[in-house]
Amino acid sequence: MSPLALIFLIIGIPALIGLAYIFVRGSAGLRRYILTRIGLLIPMVFILASLVFFVMRVLPGDPVRSSLGPKGSAETVARMREQLGLDDPLIVQYGRFLGDIVTLDFGNSLTGGRRPIIDEMSERFPATLELVIPAAGLALLIGIVGGTLAAARRKRPFDYALRLYSVVIYSIPVFWLGLIFQLVFGVRLGWTPIAGRIDPVIATTLERTTNILWLDAIITGNWAALWSSLSHLVLPVVTLGLILSGVFLRLTRVNVIETLQMEYIGAARARGIRERIVVGSHALKNAIIPVITLLGLQVAILLAGAVLTETVFSWPGMGQYLVQRISSRDYTAVQSVITMFAMLVALISLAVDIVYSLVDPRVRY
Amino acid sequence: MNLPVQDQETAVPQWEEELARVGFVRRLLRARKWYGADWWFVAISSVMVLAFIVVALFPQWFAPYGPHEQVGPRFLAPGETPDLPLLIVRADSGLSTLEDLATGPDDEVSRPPIAVLRGAPTAGALREQAALLDDELQESDSGLRLRPNIRRYDTVEEVLQAVQEGEAFAAVLSSVQYEEAAGQFPDLDAPSDISGGVASAGDFLLGTNQIGQDVYSRLIWGTRVALIIGFSASLVALFLGVPLGLVAGYAGGKIDRVMTVFMDSLYAFPGLILAIAITAVLGPSILNVIIAIAVLYIPTYYRIVRGQTLSVKQEVYVEAARSIGAKPSTILRRYIYPNVIPSVSIIFSVNIADAIITGAGLSFLGLGLPPSTADWGIDIARGQEFIQTAWWLVTFPGLAIMLVVLAFTMLGEGLTEILNPKLRDR
Repeated sequence: MSPLALIFLIIGIPALIGLAYIFVRGSAGLRRYILTRIGLLIPMVFILASLVFFVMRVLPGDPVRSSLGPKGSAETVARMREQLGLDDPLIVQYGRFLGDIVTLDFGNSLTGGRRPIIDEMSERFPATLELVIPAAGLALLIGIVGGTLAAARRKRPFDYALRLYSVVIYSIPVFWLGLIFQLVFGVRLGWTPIAGRIDPVIATTLERTTNILWLDAIITGNWAALWSSLSHLVLPVVTLGLILSGVFLRLTRVNVIETLQMEYIGAARARGIRERIVVGSHALKNAIIPVITLLGLQVAILLAGAVLTETVFSWPGMGQYLVQRISSRDYTAVQSVITMFAMLVALISLAVDIVYSLVDPRVRY
Repeated sequence: MNLPVQDQETAVPQWEEELARVGFVRRLLRARKWYGADWWFVAISSVMVLAFIVVALFPQWFAPYGPHEQVGPRFLAPGETPDLPLLIVRADSGLSTLEDLATGPDDEVSRPPIAVLRGAPTAGALREQAALLDDELQESDSGLRLRPNIRRYDTVEEVLQAVQEGEAFAAVLSSVQYEEAAGQFPDLDAPSDISGGVASAGDFLLGTNQIGQDVYSRLIWGTRVALIIGFSASLVALFLGVPLGLVAGYAGGKIDRVMTVFMDSLYAFPGLILAIAITAVLGPSILNVIIAIAVLYIPTYYRIVRGQTLSVKQEVYVEAARSIGAKPSTILRRYIYPNVIPSVSIIFSVNIADAIITGAGLSFLGLGLPPSTADWGIDIARGQEFIQTAWWLVTFPGLAIMLVVLAFTMLGEGLTEILNPKLRDR
């Protein structure tokens, strides 16, 4: 079984069970809401996929020519074009492309050994997950803790410092932050490696099942590989996490401040509950809901940030794959990756919306 | 809001009421007086933004060199003095430049002997410069030629010894080499360098890059590209997004629904990835970058304008206008559009910041601009190759991006506080 399928199973099956449960137990309104949301998902993926398809077809370069190089004779080119179905009318190609999306079979890539794209993605996708999930976690942690503390110390130096931090971090290009970290921690201090996912020598000893390297290392008990993989992971994760943290920090701060002005907080204070608990427990619980929604919306930014972070750190994930394939004009691969991204964004925002409607009873379906 | 009119008036402070009645400019001017908004936030960021605009308009005032000029040695660290090839002569010889060594024509015997260090790059520099001067002399019909008789020695001391003893008329050594040994040869002097006046010491505030361009000058010229991308992309997005939002919000119905689904899909998608796809298709040019980025930001304007139009449409004065038979286009232009402008101005400022960062990201990936452009993203991408040895190549362009983006973000932030007092503390 390919790692990609494995990951889809691990994430997808519980998600489906959860969805079914919500669907059966939820109110009629909730059910209608979920159906509408799923209904909207389809046109969204469809619009983006079509956009990508037609945009890629106007491409000035010829993928066949560039994959065969200058030596390819006119005959070989013609044969290959026919094999790939590039001579068919655009509308036929479009139909085939939509069919491919439904079956998740994206065909073979045009360059780089002509392997099935789904295989290449199943190697790359876990790498991106390995980077993106801890980064989002870090951003959320900094955002919620920092934002709550800033709200509790509103209009004091600590609050101003954190507000400044959130504006400044928003202004820093993610690739530059990555390079500065490489300079300081990789080149100057020599603490961490500056490129790749794992030491190539150690990598040969690691048996891969999920392709999330630290997980594989733990499963097989390969501690050298675990250490190597984690030390490669630190800089990219911190880079991406810090860049994202600013937005979460701002939102948490605003929401906690707003919640702190509510009457029930005054009531809690009047009962003599300690301020720390009022803020950290009573206020935060309500303030955190919009932050969770934001996390869903940020997936888009996260993935875009991942493209740059992966390029800076030579991280063999989806983003780096996309950039490489663009330069080799492999448009089957490019449109597949972008479609994958579209589906990912759509699915995650769906999941977040559903969770949101469950967590916050005030939400209108 | 279904509150009775009296209640509303008691709930909203007087100044806020007044604020809602005045126009955009007066609102900006009076806001400080009424509720003490952080006007200095806007002041500082406006000054920064203006400064960047001036730099972008007149880079030649600030940059000592052109963006593509190769003006110095490669990889010079910031503040480091360039290691120039010096002409070294006896102090009493009366020679001061390489030209002074020129001799009469056809005078094979008296070709001036010049000492150099064996295998040092200074020998090459001497040969090049001498050939250049020789050509000039021949063209000027002065009857002089400059064909040095280059003599090679194994150590710096031997080179200087040769000049001291008159074995050679002059020597050429790099300034570092000369300074180390100069103490032992008090009779010698280094009156000039032979770099042809291309570079003089201390001119490279932020160092030079891998092909000898001045990092500081490229930084200054890069401002222009960054601001062009930022402003144009945001303007294009504004001119498309605002009317679309107005029409969708006002018309409602099917047009609205179709457009909103389309815009929401575009909005949810990772912007940079879409921009990557678009520039990859269109090819590298500044216009294509602008198009790609503008497409990303159309939904931002669309969403906010549509939302505001929907709420303004309900107002009594719009209904009144409609009931006296105003055309939809008039209502949109005279009654709805002015209410939408304040939020658009905020988005516009923040949008420029976003567009600059996205543009830099694109050129960092090597997709946006032609590789010869003086652009911060391109400079960072090129500098990454030399990160182990030359830290200044990636550091300074990144700082520049950060400052510009910071200025526009802060401006947007400050404007939000002043124009939407209800959003204060957000």
